[in-house]
Amino acid sequence: MSVSVRFKFSRKGPVRYIGHLDMLRYFQKAVMRSGLPARYSEGFHPHQIMSFAYPLGVSMETEGDYMDLDLTEEIPEEEMLKRLNAVMNEGVSVSRATILKENAENAMALVAAADYRLSISEGADEAAAAVERIMSCKEILIDGGETKRGKKPKAPKDIRAGILDMRAEDGGYVFMRLLSGSAMNVRPADVFDKLNEAAGGKMYCDCICRLEIYAKKDDSLIPLSEADKRDA
Amino acid sequence: MDSAKRKLALPHRILMEAEKPARYTGGELNSVMKEADLVKIRFCFCFPDVYEIGMSHLGMQILYGLMNSYEDVWCERVFSPWTDMDAIMRRENIPLFALESQDPVKDFDFLGFTLQYEMCYVNILQVLELSGMALYAKDRGEDDPIVIGGGPCTYNAEPIADFFDIFYIGEGEVSYRKLFDLYEEHKERGYKKADFLHEAAKLEGIYVPALYDIVYNEDKTIKSIEPKYDDIPRVVKKNVVKDLDASFYPTAPVVPFIQATQDRAVLEVMRGCIRGCRFCQAGQIYKPVRARNVDTLIRYAEELMENTGYEELSLSSLSTSDHPGLKELLERLINMCNEKKINISLPSLRIDAFSLDVMNKVQDVKKNSLTFAPEAGSQRMRNVINKGLTVENILNGAELAFKGGWNKVKLYFMIGLPGEEDEDVAAIAELSNEVAALYYDTVPKSERQGRVTITASSSFFVPKPFTAFQWAAMNTPEEFLRKAAHCKSKVREQLNQKSIVYHYHDASTTIIEGVLARGDRKLSAVIEEVYRKGGIFDAWTETFSYERWMKAFKDCGMDYGFYIYRERPEEEMFPWDIIDSGVTKKYLYREWMNSKAGTVTLNCRDKCAGCGAGTFMCGICLQPRGGAA
Ligand code: SF4
Ligand code: SF4
Repeated sequence: MSVSVRFKFSRKGPVRYIGHLDMLRYFQKAVMRSGLPARYSEGFHPHQIMSFAYPLGVSMETEGDYMDLDLTEEIPEEEMLKRLNAVMNEGVSVSRATILKENAENAMALVAAADYRLSISEGADEAAAAVERIMSCKEILIDGGETKRGKKPKAPKDIRAGILDMRAEDGGYVFMRLLSGSAMNVRPADVFDKLNEAAGGKMYCDCICRLEIYAKKDDSLIPLSEADKRDA
Repeated sequence: MDSAKRKLALPHRILMEAEKPARYTGGELNSVMKEADLVKIRFCFCFPDVYEIGMSHLGMQILYGLMNSYEDVWCERVFSPWTDMDAIMRRENIPLFALESQDPVKDFDFLGFTLQYEMCYVNILQVLELSGMALYAKDRGEDDPIVIGGGPCTYNAEPIADFFDIFYIGEGEVSYRKLFDLYEEHKERGYKKADFLHEAAKLEGIYVPALYDIVYNEDKTIKSIEPKYDDIPRVVKKNVVKDLDASFYPTAPVVPFIQATQDRAVLEVMRGCIRGCRFCQAGQIYKPVRARNVDTLIRYAEELMENTGYEELSLSSLSTSDHPGLKELLERLINMCNEKKINISLPSLRIDAFSLDVMNKVQDVKKNSLTFAPEAGSQRMRNVINKGLTVENILNGAELAFKGGWNKVKLYFMIGLPGEEDEDVAAIAELSNEVAALYYDTVPKSERQGRVTITASSSFFVPKPFTAFQWAAMNTPEEFLRKAAHCKSKVREQLNQKSIVYHYHDASTTIIEGVLARGDRKLSAVIEEVYRKGGIFDAWTETFSYERWMKAFKDCGMDYGFYIYRERPEEEMFPWDIIDSGVTKKYLYREWMNSKAGTVTLNCRDKCAGCGAGTFMCGICLQPRGGAA
């Protein structure tokens, strides 16, 4: 049999400096150590059927990222968490395990938005005003992104509609809710650059933490752990 | 300690400037954290190359695990910061730090380098300087860490002797505890570095280079090596683990986050090698061969899998096919690994019916190539180097393999071997052709999966200390390149030349390696000069500069040809005669003469050659078989 499980995980501290592929390899090994009955692909070098909702960039922390894994037998959710957390190392842990319904959509395709908390280590005093300035703009243009060599530079992009919410918080933080996914994908670092521009370049952000990833259901956003959940 | 809050030595801004910040942040699975205040000795273990290379090294994992198993010792790791981080640290004046605690290296009691290849010597100076320490041992103070070197290059570490306080000769499992006890004793009763080093020099396998004067002859060769005190040994005998099954094995090795060169668990099945190939240093310095028991190995394999989660297990040794229990070991491992979906990789297996059968079970035949290391093209040369692999062995193995579906073959050779003629070099091309032709003879047209690919690679030969060729002259770069070109043109003349790809290594690196391998203490000035002129990461083609070395030899007034281009006379004293590897100079000279006569010497299992390592009283030397011990 095959059952798909969606794990919510966090990563904090020095381990944030590893890249996305390393994170994948880290989880593969953790699953191996945990003894969870992972399902393997066919072929000469079978591998675990594992996928991530949203690649975690180098240096990003998270409290709410998702990893989907196929198992060959069903295990109670609490038990899965216990087994995985028992073999995690510094700064990584899983906080939820959700058994998905059959034919659940792949996590990556579901991603519609994400929350972020930015730690402003310098110029935090400017944050509130900068946020207000940006939020009052009708249009926020950023570079169109990298272009292939020999092609014309891409036209600047307006990301204003992709900033669903943004506010300065106590303790030197800025909270953002940004659109993600195929239609429009806004990166927190790009938004920060705009904030910093508005603050006259006085701000420095030394950590971006993703708080949650959302899927769209009807017209509202629901955490990925709630999407495609198997009916109880 | 809440490790998610472990402090980092480098601020975010600087880490983000680095190509791979995770090289410098530590915290990997199975890395060891201790309370600095609760240990008596802090040991910083350095592999003087980039993180991914160093983390692939089993020896480091062994010593790291062993030292951390001592309650009073905390062993941490450091690697050479890659060129990007090197520049940043110099710019920002950041002292080099250990990965675990992120504390400066300079605050440790010991800084231990593992010396795996000569081309990392300049990186030792990089690490010392970035740590804020003087390069030369004589210029360092009482508070500086004791700088200690271990690993294969210590069998002649004279070119870097002036930078070190201690060389540890032989296998690390044996004497570190004694060294630490001595250090703690000295710390308790008022530590003076000089006194400690003097006492340390009396321990088995501990060589303190500053306590020996080198007396030279007028012709620059060595006249004698004189201990400065009567109570330290005239020669330093290597340490050998007598019972491998009882010694420490790292079944919970540190598992890097970033992909290391070896991304797999390593099971060392055996130490040493029974085959005395005359060019091979490893074969001599790790004598006598000692195999681990199959039950022990299975237990280690289980623990390794449980503790690491690796998806691949690699069997390691110099010559795994010679393990006496290999059949049973592989049967049991294959069962275990199939069940757990773990791949097995089997480097250094000799190709025969048995190994092909095993490989068929554990590898994808289509994707993998078959490797042979005949090392020389002609049978005459293979006798000279004592490589007991015949054309029949190779062709029989290849034929079986072709029938089994393989169609990629790799052949490894050396060029520049003592006594080599052009026809021996041409034989490389001919042998490659024979293997290719065999494919077309063996596999009917209808069953062929495209063309067979024979990849022949040749490296240039470097004579190494403690081998039969330690007396031999090396070829010049011009000779190397001429021979390689000759080989290439011969490949082009072969009937199946379209199926043969020929590569050869860089000749200039080989020359430097040759000088450092058999050099003496006078070379420290040259190494320093190369480093001062910007030389780091010499083991990497993109950072190595032959011109920089040539200029340094000239500026230091050194004739490097002295070290490589002359054949040494029998009675010459070598810089490495300070070391007793067990293998006697008499035996090696006998082998040098056998080589000149083209006489083959049998391996340890068939007949003891009386090499001298029998004095260690362990391993194969104690097993009954033909010949004199
Ligand atoms: S088989 Fe020969 S080359 Fe290989 S390790 Fe043994 S002695 Fe060295
Ligand atoms: S003493 Fe004999 S058996 Fe022992 S390592 Fe030397 S040659 Fe081999």
